Amino acid sequence: MSKTATGTSTPSAIEFNSFAPVVGINFGNSYASIAVLGKDGNAECIANEDGERQIACAISFHGEETYIGNQAKAQLVKNSANTITNFRNLLGLSYSSIPPLSSPPTSAPIIQHPTQPDVPAYRVSVLEPAPAPLKSNVNTPAATPRSEPVQTTRVLTPADAATIFLKSLLTSAEAFLGKKVEAAVLTVPSWMSPAQRAALASAAKDAGIPVTQLLEEAAAVASTTSHTTWTDGVEEGTEIGADRSQLVVDVGATSSTISLLSVRQGLSYVIASSTIPQGANAIDDKLIKHFAADFTKKTKIPLQVAPAPASSVADQRAEARLRLAIEHTKRTLSASPGAATCSVESLKDGFDYTGSINRMRFDMVAAPVYTAIASAVVELLASAGVDSKEVGEIVYVGGTGSLPGLDERVQGEVVTPFSRGIVQGGGIGDPTTILARGSAIQAAMLAGLPSGTAEDKELHDVILGEKGEQVNKVKATTRTIGVLFPTRELGGVFVPVVQKETALPTRRVVQVEVALPAEGEKRVCLEVWEVKEGIRIEKIKAEPTTPIDEDEDEEEEEEEEVKHKVISKEILLGALQIAAKGAKKAVVQVQVVVGIEGEVDVEVKEVGEGAGEPQRVHVPAP
Amino acid sequence: MAAIQTVNVAIPAVPSSYTTPSAPSTSRLSPPHPSGHRTLLPVGPAYVNHLRLSLHHAHNFSSLDKHLEAERERLAAINAVANPEVDDLGVGSEDEDEEVLSLDPKEWKKHDYYKVLGLSHLRHRATPEQIKWANRKKVLKHHPDKKAASAAPPSDSAFLAGVNLNTNDDAFFKCIAKAYEVLSNPEKRRQFDSVDPTFIDMEEDLPSEKEVKSKNFDFFKTFTHVFDLYSRFSKAQPVPGLGHIDSTKEEVEGFYDFWYNFDSWRSFEWLDKEVNEGSDSRDDKRYTEKKNKTERARRKKEDIAKVRGLVDLALSADPRIKRIKQQEKEAREAKKKGVSKTGPVKKSKAEEEAEKKKLEEEARAKEEAEAAARAEAKKAKAAAANAAKKARRQQRAAEEGA
Repeated sequence: MSKTATGTSTPSAIEFNSFAPVVGINFGNSYASIAVLGKDGNAECIANEDGERQIACAISFHGEETYIGNQAKAQLVKNSANTITNFRNLLGLSYSSIPPLSSPPTSAPIIQHPTQPDVPAYRVSVLEPAPAPLKSNVNTPAATPRSEPVQTTRVLTPADAATIFLKSLLTSAEAFLGKKVEAAVLTVPSWMSPAQRAALASAAKDAGIPVTQLLEEAAAVASTTSHTTWTDGVEEGTEIGADRSQLVVDVGATSSTISLLSVRQGLSYVIASSTIPQGANAIDDKLIKHFAADFTKKTKIPLQVAPAPASSVADQRAEARLRLAIEHTKRTLSASPGAATCSVESLKDGFDYTGSINRMRFDMVAAPVYTAIASAVVELLASAGVDSKEVGEIVYVGGTGSLPGLDERVQGEVVTPFSRGIVQGGGIGDPTTILARGSAIQAAMLAGLPSGTAEDKELHDVILGEKGEQVNKVKATTRTIGVLFPTRELGGVFVPVVQKETALPTRRVVQVEVALPAEGEKRVCLEVWEVKEGIRIEKIKAEPTTPIDEDEDEEEEEEEEVKHKVISKEILLGALQIAAKGAKKAVVQVQVVVGIEGEVDVEVKEVGEGAGEPQRVHVPAP
Repeated sequence: MAAIQTVNVAIPAVPSSYTTPSAPSTSRLSPPHPSGHRTLLPVGPAYVNHLRLSLHHAHNFSSLDKHLEAERERLAAINAVANPEVDDLGVGSEDEDEEVLSLDPKEWKKHDYYKVLGLSHLRHRATPEQIKWANRKKVLKHHPDKKAASAAPPSDSAFLAGVNLNTNDDAFFKCIAKAYEVLSNPEKRRQFDSVDPTFIDMEEDLPSEKEVKSKNFDFFKTFTHVFDLYSRFSKAQPVPGLGHIDSTKEEVEGFYDFWYNFDSWRSFEWLDKEVNEGSDSRDDKRYTEKKNKTERARRKKEDIAKVRGLVDLALSADPRIKRIKQQEKEAREAKKKGVSKTGPVKKSKAEEEAEKKKLEEEARAKEEAEAAARAEAKKAKAAAANAAKKARRQQRAAEEGA
């Protein structure tokens, strides 16, 4: 043997860097998804045991079996009375406050809880398994126990249903991680009342989920989009700055929420948001109507769907079958430019149905919903006083967001160089997983916060406690602050430093390369201005006449109006001059700090060896 | 420090006529949106920093910077303690030169397995754990599945478009597998270590008798290295070191005792000729086996003889042996003559030695000076010759020009 070889030590397993076992759960009304932190520290959406990343929020009881997720959804066809859906939105609501349904229910109906007052509930019939034979000490044979399960009914409140469902999500996540989940962040829609949030939190707690925070959906989006990985793989040339306005189009099943976010170096807040009661269900209704009409045309069998008449069970089942089948159709349409098929076996009266729909036809079917969303976008921007040209990025959320027609329609209203989230299938912008991933990132960040000192404890309390609501209310700048480099021509070159709608206090550092004069004094001069940004709508042929404007529009001039970003100087805050050391060019760093009260500190210095003293200017608070 | 945004805008120089305007002292920022106008979304590290800024640092950025810096250092310290540089057991990552990567797996017997696994800095000292780790590392890096996806060489031919031409991309992977097979098996590893190519290289330049006898031979430096080399083969560990000039008699004797009874695990199976593969002949096989056996025995004998010869050589040249003998002699004499005279004798001996050393040094200095002078003369001569040559050339050029 070689001299150092030892036979006693056991081989050590190679351990990879393991990340905290945290999960992010997007708990929607119709679909849920789970995300965990991968090996590389990126959040990724995981599939449950059925291989589904989009897990339908449905629970179905059939005999002794309980189905959860997409399997339960399939039960809607023949076992709709024992299938529970749409339970999340009922969390924390009293029975009397639930609005009556406009159409007959397609799943288990909501009833008044038999024992608790004013509590909604579902009644499902289940088979109770036979009890085990009794053990008797006496040698006499006991009475023969019943061996058949008995039919009983079970009453579940929405909270019970949510607990069962969330528990299954937790099981999936733990099976994936191989460890117990230590922290979780759940999404919650912004419209939920504190009582509803409390009900959601308690349901999660009952399911055994260690919830650290309930995160509003807009915040979950911001969590994903301000993460460092968000800008990975952005094509060269597309502008996606650390300071940008983000339009979030969240298309849910029953409603769509459009929010305008100001993202300023990871710090974000909602400028404006609106909700419209139109969503994927509306598209679904129109689509199944389309297919039902096609079926009737092909088979001469009358079929009325969406809503199906209460009297016709066959029609109700056909509708449920179609609803399941068009999921596939929509996914195919999102993924490929060609036509997508919809096939249902024995749709009605034993007749099968196979039909196809192409992109154009589909867009026509879905056009009313698209238009509603696009006009909501326009309205929102108008109410916020933001021009569509100032939107830096569109982010879609929800599976409907990956329908290409929607993006086309919205881009018709909002001209922006960049939109993320029309690629399904695990990409960075995958709209179906953005919320879950954002929650996972947030959970990881919260789990990673230091917790040693009293300051750290206070920080924890502020983020997770009630006190946070006060601290989160911030002051923000109203106008953009930037530096203007004078040029020979009128005006100059303007470099924005602190954008408008930036939370205070703030600090920005901008580095620019400035040419130096060939003769005379080597100096760099700049003026600090507060400016007003506007949009100039220009008809063709008109020459730019404003003293300074940044022509960022590359569009060909057509016989239309062309929008230009226009900047007009409002207030001169200061002027600075530094002597430069460089030969031909000087690299200059400008730091602007805007304090909490609006006081401004500007510091300019040259970068490099032998650079002179930085020059400063201070503007007191207004 | 805040993130620095670099703006790629060409900014022309300031016109010379430009004079810096002075801002009116009354100019203020237009009042910001009042508090509560906007509600931050509580996500991301930027939000945490914002909170810190408002809660603990009185909106002072430089104070926050300091805090964050301290925090980062603290985390780095914790990480360094928690996972000491992702303990790779000291395997490290060696450069893979072209030569190693282009090894032919069919020639596996000639490979240097330690080099293949990137362990050439450890060689026979590598522990099984280290070998395991190194193997995993290499396998992860060179797995053919990974290579086929990453580096399929592009083909110009339209016929070959889409066909992976990189068919031999698992050659090195096979070499890794072979290397691990040998090094993970203690018996095979022993055989390989016995004939480790780098050891054999080092064995080439063992000190010869002539060298040892030469004047400026550094006994300790040379032989410490030699015995260190051979000590790896000892079945008994640890091996006593050569020691130093002042080692005691017991130490010296113990050392030579050990090496005269050196029990080595070195063997030479690795160099066996392989049985001719094509032949099924039993006789052929037996013949080869027999030959191998005798060859092994011969080599082993040679090796033993070599080590023995080395020890003999060392013993003969060891200055300590002389000293010990001298001391013994002196002790005997002292015993005879009584204790009193030993002092002056020893002193005179020391003086003698010093004188001798001095003389030696002088001679050496003289020699060196002469050598330097010779070199100088040679250089001057060469320079003169060069100058002459140059002059001739210039003259010729001038003549031609004229």
